[in-house]
Amino acid sequence: MNKLFNFKSSGSLLAAMPLMVVFMFFVSATQVKAQDIDLLLKGGHLIDAKNNIDRKMDVAVKAGKIFRVAADIPASSAKKVVDVSGLIVAPGLINMHTHVYAGSNPGFTDGTSSQLPDAFAPRAGITTVVDAGTSGWRTFPDFKAKIIDNSMTRVLAFLSIAASGYSVDKAQENIAEMDVQKTAETVNKYPDILVGVRIGRYDGTEWTPFDRASEAAKLVNKPLFVECHLPMYSLEDQLNRMRSGDIMTHAFENVSERMTVVDEQGKVRPFVLAAQKRGVLFDVGHGGGGFWFNQGIPAFKQGLWPNSFGTDEHRTSMNSGMKTMLNVMSKYLNMGMSLPDIIARGSWNAAKSIKREDLGNLSEGSVADIAVLSVAKGKFGFVDSGNNKIEGDKKLEAELTVRAGRIIWDLNGLAANAYK
Amino acid sequence: MRTKTAGISEFIQHKFVRTVQRIAAVLALILITVTVEAQEIDILLKGGHVIDPKNSINAKMDVAIVADKIFRVAANIPASLSKKTIDISGLYVTPGIIDMHAHVFHGADVNSISANSPGGLQADAFSFRAGVTTVVDAGSSGWRNFPLFKSQVIDRSQTRILAFLNVVGGGMVTRYDQQDVTDMNPEMNAYMIKKLHPTILVGIKSAHFWGDFRSVDKAVESGKLANVPVIVDFGEHSPPNSIESLFMEHFRPGDIFTHTFSEHAISETAGGRESIVDVKTRKVKPFVFAAQKRGIIFDVGHGAGAFNFNQAIPALKQGFMPNTISTDLYNLSMNAAMKDMTNVMSKFLAMGMGLQDVILRSTWNPAQVIKRPDLGHLSVGSEADIAVFNLKKGNFGYMDVRRTKISGTEKLEAELTLRAGRVVWDLNGISAPDWQMPAITN
Repeated sequence: MNKLFNFKSSGSLLAAMPLMVVFMFFVSATQVKAQDIDLLLKGGHLIDAKNNIDRKMDVAVKAGKIFRVAADIPASSAKKVVDVSGLIVAPGLINMHTHVYAGSNPGFTDGTSSQLPDAFAPRAGITTVVDAGTSGWRTFPDFKAKIIDNSMTRVLAFLSIAASGYSVDKAQENIAEMDVQKTAETVNKYPDILVGVRIGRYDGTEWTPFDRASEAAKLVNKPLFVECHLPMYSLEDQLNRMRSGDIMTHAFENVSERMTVVDEQGKVRPFVLAAQKRGVLFDVGHGGGGFWFNQGIPAFKQGLWPNSFGTDEHRTSMNSGMKTMLNVMSKYLNMGMSLPDIIARGSWNAAKSIKREDLGNLSEGSVADIAVLSVAKGKFGFVDSGNNKIEGDKKLEAELTVRAGRIIWDLNGLAANAYK
Repeated sequence: MRTKTAGISEFIQHKFVRTVQRIAAVLALILITVTVEAQEIDILLKGGHVIDPKNSINAKMDVAIVADKIFRVAANIPASLSKKTIDISGLYVTPGIIDMHAHVFHGADVNSISANSPGGLQADAFSFRAGVTTVVDAGSSGWRNFPLFKSQVIDRSQTRILAFLNVVGGGMVTRYDQQDVTDMNPEMNAYMIKKLHPTILVGIKSAHFWGDFRSVDKAVESGKLANVPVIVDFGEHSPPNSIESLFMEHFRPGDIFTHTFSEHAISETAGGRESIVDVKTRKVKPFVFAAQKRGIIFDVGHGAGAFNFNQAIPALKQGFMPNTISTDLYNLSMNAAMKDMTNVMSKFLAMGMGLQDVILRSTWNPAQVIKRPDLGHLSVGSEADIAVFNLKKGNFGYMDVRRTKISGTEKLEAELTLRAGRVVWDLNGISAPDWQMPAITN
């Protein structure tokens, strides 16, 4: 485009006249079509952290993009109007921690422990999932061909420093295969998909795997994502090696593999708070063992809030206390976090942390990834990884999910015509 | 001597009496112990409303589980007899739901429709959260790739997976493979079912055939040899075949017509499935009632393209009910109008079917159709596969595959699911203890 309208270098203004006529024709055509909104979500309460919106607003979608956000956009200007009064309209949610490289092998990589993105995302208001290093530089092309390119859900990924990703065999711990250059090259080759580097499992005491992952992340200027299966590294040493913007997942776990963030006296450890202050981010990464109320609740009260609500869904976590990302978010809602704070962490904060500021917001012109949520009132229970329960009176539910302007989930047929 | 003898005799008698007394005491102790042990219920579901169509129960009843079996179903079983009691007052208790039409041969072959394909879903991701404990795969595998299906999926799944074997040896890979009459081998199909996997394989599937009745007939021939029903997706014949002929001439009683409420715009040139409700008069065709009377089974098989209110609503109003309710779960149906088994069941509630009829058609009826009378009920001694439902009240919408909507005031939600006596789904943690804030010390 820049080249096309660089008249100085392309010759005289005269030569550009036909182009300008064509251009003006396009402008007028655009204005006529501007009244043809494809989808108008009318009457909802919009929560958009990036744009600081927390009030009743209509959202107009056109050609897969957010076309307009304003109070009282006339229904007559839209081809399709969906009444979303009484509901929350939010940017499509981002699940920061998933394993979606689903396939035929045992375990996670191309395996049966991973879950298909479309099986869990649309029904939870999620339009983007981030795979937590289920693939590495050797397996990513296969992951992309099989899953990423075939999913309605946008699939982004952290690349594991381990070549295979997250296979069940010990090969993933082979340091010789943890190649900084190949990892960085792969991330640079797929900058629209790969959002960072992950260190996930290593049983040894040497810091080489961690340092290589960190180095690769630094090379590509993206965050390092740290999982818990690093039993010989102390939590303090890990946090000390993390840069501002790096992400510690399974933040509120209480398992033998890693020291807890809350100490035996119920206090968040000072070095954890110091890391948070330095800009290290904490992801929930609920999973089967990664979220305990005796960690999450004291931490929340003492100011250690998660930056994102990764679910770590896989075959054993999906039917446990985790269930869905909305269930995880509802735990925080009932623990006392406000709805705008929750939506921010489920969308804009998550987008920023993976340097994808094109996502997680409803700015005009951005891709129309939208979640329409309801807050059900009633008597609900929420269970942690230790099978302990808290009670609550609010629960989030996904009514409508829109991905690039297309409705991919409609719980109650809000957008459907009545049967006659 | 006498005295002595008497003495000895007395002594012996005395000893005998004492021994008897001791034995009696020990016996009593054993009895008490046994009684106490018998009272050691593992899980007691207390205060729920049981709907168990096989046993004609529709009443408030407690359900006791010992190990992996139903131990007792009765009113007011004392909580003191159980190690764990779950209060389920206000909720419905039913046999674990059976989804008779699903595609769960999940795998990595992106060029395959259902066999070893991402088009087939992981059963555990959809079953328990919908109260389902048994899914029946509808012909994703054939006799040649069933062993892979078993080792890769069935053996690793918590959900009980049963299967209809595809009449085509290679299973459901592409539309073209489905046409290969030379790969329809009744002997091999029957051998696989009867000799090798009689506990998993429950029938034969015929689907997506473009031609005449050969696919159905090969399936029926296989079914006769193996003494199992066939399930038929009659959807893509070009020109469409007569369903009257299918029901009355080709099917045996017990054979299954799935996608019962589909309605396609059909013509002589474009293939399609003849509908059971006449598209002009909106009347159920008379032979459909006759077919059901004859023992033909009508299965819902909702799917992404096979459930239309224009068929289902008139049919229900005219007194025609499907024998079995099922999802046809696969990648294209999961996020569309189908969603999951509870949504499909709730849709039938919204269309006016009673709750007991809905449960019957999702438990005991499918169990009988697939000749698995051990499933689909809560009889004492049977495996403890149980669903506990919340019947939510409110305003709900239900869609068909054309995205038209009806509204309903009720919706089933799976609160608790048990598979073989183990809690495998607990929506609100009703089986979990309350969390206590640990004491904070300075």
